[in-house]
Amino acid sequence: MSSSELLQFVVSGLQNGAVYALVALGFTLVYASTGIINFAQGEFFMLGGVLAVAGVRFGLPLPLAVVASVLVSAGIGVALERFALRPRRDSGGLVLIIITIGASMVLKSLARHIFGPNEMALPAFTPGPPVIIGGAAIDPQVLWIWGLTFVVVVALTLVYAKTKLGRAMRACSLSHDAARLMGVDTAGVVMLSFGLAAALGALGGAVVAPLTQTAFDVGARAGIKGFAAAILGGLGSPVAAVVGGLLLGVLESLSVGFLSSTYKDVISLVVLLAVLFLRPQGLFGRAGKEKV
Amino acid sequence: MSARYGLDRAIARVAPVLIVALVAAVPLLTDDRYLFKVLTFVGLNVIVVTGLALLFGYAGQISLGHAAFFGIGAYSVGYLTATRALPWLAAVAIGVALASVVGLLLSLPMLRLKGHYLAMATLAFSEILGVFFVEASAITGGNDGLRGIPFPSVGPFKIATPGASYLLVWGVAIIVVVLASNLVRTRPGRALRAVHGTELGAQACGIDTGRLRVQVFTLSAGLAGLAGALYAGVVGFVSPTTFSLEFSVLLVAMVVLGGTGSITGPVVACVALTLLPYIDALVPGLPRDAVAFLQDWEADISGIVMIGVLLFAPGGVAGMLRRSRRAGDAS
Amino acid sequence: MTMLSVRGLSKSFGGLTAVDNVSFDVHEGMIKALIGPNGAGKSTLFNLLTGFECPDAGTVTFLGQPMVALKPFKVVRAGIARTFQNTQVFGEMSVIENVLVGMHTQLATGFAAGALRLPATRKADRMAVERAGRLLRLVGAEEFADAPGADIPHGVRRLVEIARALAAAPKLLLLDEPAAGLNNAETQALAASLRRIQADGTTILIVEHDMGLVMEISDEIVVLDRGRKIAEGSPKLIQKDPAVIEAYLGEEVPDA
Repeated sequence: MSSSELLQFVVSGLQNGAVYALVALGFTLVYASTGIINFAQGEFFMLGGVLAVAGVRFGLPLPLAVVASVLVSAGIGVALERFALRPRRDSGGLVLIIITIGASMVLKSLARHIFGPNEMALPAFTPGPPVIIGGAAIDPQVLWIWGLTFVVVVALTLVYAKTKLGRAMRACSLSHDAARLMGVDTAGVVMLSFGLAAALGALGGAVVAPLTQTAFDVGARAGIKGFAAAILGGLGSPVAAVVGGLLLGVLESLSVGFLSSTYKDVISLVVLLAVLFLRPQGLFGRAGKEKV
Repeated sequence: MSARYGLDRAIARVAPVLIVALVAAVPLLTDDRYLFKVLTFVGLNVIVVTGLALLFGYAGQISLGHAAFFGIGAYSVGYLTATRALPWLAAVAIGVALASVVGLLLSLPMLRLKGHYLAMATLAFSEILGVFFVEASAITGGNDGLRGIPFPSVGPFKIATPGASYLLVWGVAIIVVVLASNLVRTRPGRALRAVHGTELGAQACGIDTGRLRVQVFTLSAGLAGLAGALYAGVVGFVSPTTFSLEFSVLLVAMVVLGGTGSITGPVVACVALTLLPYIDALVPGLPRDAVAFLQDWEADISGIVMIGVLLFAPGGVAGMLRRSRRAGDAS
Repeated sequence: MTMLSVRGLSKSFGGLTAVDNVSFDVHEGMIKALIGPNGAGKSTLFNLLTGFECPDAGTVTFLGQPMVALKPFKVVRAGIARTFQNTQVFGEMSVIENVLVGMHTQLATGFAAGALRLPATRKADRMAVERAGRLLRLVGAEEFADAPGADIPHGVRRLVEIARALAAAPKLLLLDEPAAGLNNAETQALAASLRRIQADGTTILIVEHDMGLVMEISDEIVVLDRGRKIAEGSPKLIQKDPAVIEAYLGEEVPDA
């Protein structure tokens, strides 16, 4: 394999990895505030793409369609938390997880009813020829993916570190009781984290749709890969989730290069199982931190 | 109250006999092939759901991979009988053993994992197996699946009619349900409920909670494999689409609807949810559109059922049965 | 004869020393009490003795066998059963079923025998139910036998846990504040039950705040303060010990 080929694989790995990172960020946010895994997270990725396509078909300008799809997805995420999870928040993780599994089934199925079973294409954000860097061709859309992921991660990190809201979120991730004592509106933080997680997943789904197309059934795979990225990073900080996502993307892409594209999806699943079995706290996590 | 209790006990004694009689009577009452086929599917699901009821409803563990164990059983029998010409019974035994062993291997490292990780790990496992079913085409026939799987047969006896298949599957299902109902009333079942109740308390009672989890996971994987093994011979072909994530979630939905800490509840829920899209088999005059609607919206319905039950009736079917019994006692 | 021998046991959590170089013996047949102000490390010590926590240093020997680093279920099999300060009753099981779970190590029914419900299984279970009933009578909780664990009062939960622990037929019984939540009459009944349990040949190590009960039933007392053992001896001796009185000043004076 020549070095430019290798570079091409790395680029495509970083492209997918950035998208996994967005989904993984959603898992991380919800886990931090509630201690549960949101099994519907992948479906918000699906909604992001599908709703953006629907918006364009409806006649919205592309940027507006993307923004609208992210906002609508966030709204659905908030509604999921407010109406399906909050009433049972004291019943333990098992019940909440099952509810998110049920929600993911409903969202996917409803999407099929509303948008049909076929693949849908979203136009590129900025059409144009690929940029050539060091022998690797980079689609302008990939730059959009990287740029938006970067902006999101920086914004999240700043919010986390500098703002009152970020402090409230960190307090919730340690202990809801302690956070309440500090005057934090924990219910509000949980709801917000679901909305934000949904928005991030949707952004990932929308921004990658011009490259890969989208359909009602892309959520499960995206969810698993996002989770694999999140758990690889240790479900801790936003940065860890992003590193996990990029790592997974590159790993996947190189395996396609060196092995075969057949096993592309298997790689991330094997990584997921390996991390769960061998190092459940992730690459950057500390051992022994368990909520629920 | 004691009279009521006596009546309850009488019902508890008589009900299983009546159900067995009813199941056995169906072939005498009808020879509708479609009805047999639908009821056979119900029976297969009952076998899987009984294992899941032990795993989820008693031990409190979620598996999103039971469709994959079902697939292991089905492909084993399909491959061994169709391609290798092994006797059906031997193939079934191998299929069940394989599903159990895979379940065992998968559950060993999962001892360290809490509930949501377990769910995700089983999900990943089932996706890997899904890829395997498609890619290992020398064994599985790839996307086309395996066709021409011989009917179940033991020596000279061949189970080749829909009615006979129905009886075979339901015979096995009833045995499985009876054994599971026994199990939960004795030491291992009490230990399972204890672990689900409080892990600390269970450990303080001398229960090796890790070992118990592995045992129940292996058992439930084996039961899913058994259902799959029966499926292959009865249906005659297997293809990757049967063993999807949707099927796994549907199975979990049945157990959730049925309620925790019960075998009867999940079995009732399983019968109801499996019949729903094929309700025309029972009610012949039903408009086509209504049936098509139910089939099209099956996933939505089971998803909504899952959420709805947990929000508004967390005890599920079993909880409602218990409540009505208690209300009867109070009056 | 020395049944349990604790030597140099230490445990700290993130810099905070919960148990600090504690040594004592429990002799067969006695009731020994472990007392001390809140935060003295009593519950941590219990967790160390029963395998729920692993000590940083020190040894625990039970009937000549080393116990440190055994998993909780192995500790039970070795003959030590316990109750919890925060009760761990199985809420969705009836009280009598709770006690039956306590017999886990005493029954042999495995998955296959349980599923087949062999005659031997039924017979063992019938006898287990009878024995569970006797244990519930012993602790005075028989009227709750059929109630779900979640529905019984807190005081009764402690009694049920005692019956459940006894169901494992332990040689040594560890009780963590069994009298919390009981009124005077109930505490007296508990004292009588504990004596009967002792008379039946079970050695008892008890953590308790009710000094009246402690002074009444115990043969020996160990006093912990901030993780350290500050005194050990008979109830009479302990009541006069200046270090003990000092430790309890500002919290509550032992009233007995």
